[in-house]
Amino acid sequence: MASTTATAAVSPTPPSNRRRVSPAFGLAAPASIFVLLGLIGPLALMFRYSFNRFVPSELMVSALTLENYTKFVNDGFYQSVLLTTVGISALSTVLCLIAGFPVAYFMVRLASPRWRSLLFILIILPLLMGNAVRTAAWMVILGDKGLLSTLMAALGLSPVKLMYTPAAVVIGLVSVLLPFMIVTIQSVLEGIGRNLEDAAESLGANHPTVLRRIVLPLALPGLLAGTMLCFILSMNAYATPVLLGGPQFHMMAPEVYQQVTKAMNWPFGAALAFILMAVTLVLTASANSIIQRRYRKWSE
Amino acid sequence: MESLIFGKTSRRNVLRGLGVAGMALAAPKFSFAADKGTVVVSNWGGDWNDRTVRFVEEPLVESQGIKIVRDLGMEPERKAKLLAERRLRRGSIDVMHLNQGDVYEMHNQEVLADIDRSQVANFADVPEPLKTASYFVPWLYSGVVIIYNKDKVPNPPKSYEELWDTKWAGRIGLTNQLYFNYVMMAGLLKGGNVTNTEAGQERLLELKQQTQPKIYAAHQHLQAALVTGEVDIAINYKARGLQWAHDGAPLAIQYPGEGAIAVMFGACLPKRAPSPDLAHVYFNAMLDRKAMAQLAEASFYAPANGAAELSPELRAKIDFSPEEQKALNFPDYAHTAQNTAAWLEWWNKNIAV
Repeated sequence: MASTTATAAVSPTPPSNRRRVSPAFGLAAPASIFVLLGLIGPLALMFRYSFNRFVPSELMVSALTLENYTKFVNDGFYQSVLLTTVGISALSTVLCLIAGFPVAYFMVRLASPRWRSLLFILIILPLLMGNAVRTAAWMVILGDKGLLSTLMAALGLSPVKLMYTPAAVVIGLVSVLLPFMIVTIQSVLEGIGRNLEDAAESLGANHPTVLRRIVLPLALPGLLAGTMLCFILSMNAYATPVLLGGPQFHMMAPEVYQQVTKAMNWPFGAALAFILMAVTLVLTASANSIIQRRYRKWSE
Repeated sequence: MESLIFGKTSRRNVLRGLGVAGMALAAPKFSFAADKGTVVVSNWGGDWNDRTVRFVEEPLVESQGIKIVRDLGMEPERKAKLLAERRLRRGSIDVMHLNQGDVYEMHNQEVLADIDRSQVANFADVPEPLKTASYFVPWLYSGVVIIYNKDKVPNPPKSYEELWDTKWAGRIGLTNQLYFNYVMMAGLLKGGNVTNTEAGQERLLELKQQTQPKIYAAHQHLQAALVTGEVDIAINYKARGLQWAHDGAPLAIQYPGEGAIAVMFGACLPKRAPSPDLAHVYFNAMLDRKAMAQLAEASFYAPANGAAELSPELRAKIDFSPEEQKALNFPDYAHTAQNTAAWLEWWNKNIAV
């Protein structure tokens, strides 16, 4: 007791630190434990499964083999599935960026607060219903005898086959991802003061120059976040490629699902899932690093 | 302890209040005590489940005071769930509806228990040839036949083999779901059998080259394609062809000369089922003569109950003739289980691309 009092007299800070850290740790613990158990646990299990062996009569046999990964490397079909996934995701993300930025800019700079709220609600409205439901609606629109074909026929145009094509998947993905892009960019644009644009214009810069030299560099973190969000969601898309791409269109997430549930090949399904995750991580991290470097250059 | 709303609250009062609340929460349990228990049924959704509820579950199981909890979904997810529960001491499913091939696969994985037929009185009505596995309750069956638009195809192919003809180019529709049946079907050509599947795969490539069949994701898409005239011929279950014709499409059925590939649907009992006794009550209800007749009439699947009360007209329509029954080709389930993953991969790489 005496020694405690003495220590406290010499240095009163450590005990108060202990008191401050302890409750913070206690508050963080439930969420951390939940994440550990609910996310990392299953991931670790699946990672382990990816080194197991698939034997049709026994399904999964415990092993420590790289054969599921080498199968992917040596099989052109699965590589083409991955390339399709990356290509479709990149295209959908770019289209979201091109379509999303003007809408976000319009909301922040041009629309009145009342219109802004209305637009915001309209943009997030599709998110209130399930992805599969929205995609089913696209099936009705894009089907061979759907709304679009009927409309084109009424206008005397020959109908275009969109259903079960990569174009249908891109349309579906853009419609699903666009709200994420707009909302992310909008939140960053809100933080850029209008006076910066006014200052640039007062110094003689025209509007495209202001956009290019002032707004875009400052909005880059938001553009980057929106792009990453859309790209990651697109890489992992399941319902849209299945429902709009049809049985002859293959992307990675449906392929993982098919391996795990239809073929019962959990080891290869797990390997495909980790390859998808690794490729998504590498592409996202590389894009992040390149754009951040560019951003620093702009800032200097 | 001073409460702002209720005044003074003692520790004893709080405990008393908690006790009352606990009793209130427990009250529904007392009311369930009169029930005979709960049986968890894993089944397909949609019209399949609707018919099961209407003709079996409501009138024959729930009416006995047995509560049914339904776990609905496609068979891949349900099978995966059964396998995932393998390590648990107690499973969550009492009855699982599957086709016989899947049941064989699950039995191989040692997740199924044998059915105690002494507890299923209606098993006596099941024809002997259908009582093939001790772990399976056969229920409804059909065969893969040639379904054609009778207005547009006056001379339909009389056998699977006659489909291999350029005159059917662009007119044949297949579904992704039946890939394994198509591999077996092609194996039957030229006097082959259902295990002649390597040759079958080669022949399917020839079929693709000769006729460019259209591949659909689900049966319903194929039905729509038949109705709109996108395709004129479909290779699918007879029961589905009859159902689609019943819905108004101008369709007719051609039984293939090689004998149809048979499909048998039924149910099984998971090894770790929480209520195996109630599961047997459910199995008995499934095989009820009247229920089977009603199901056959509504679904167009042939009943696995020889005593099902079918009218002669209905039996002639949905059932197979004795010759057709004899010619049915039941899959070699061991061969199918061994190869189905490889077939799926092959199908995706070569046909569904």
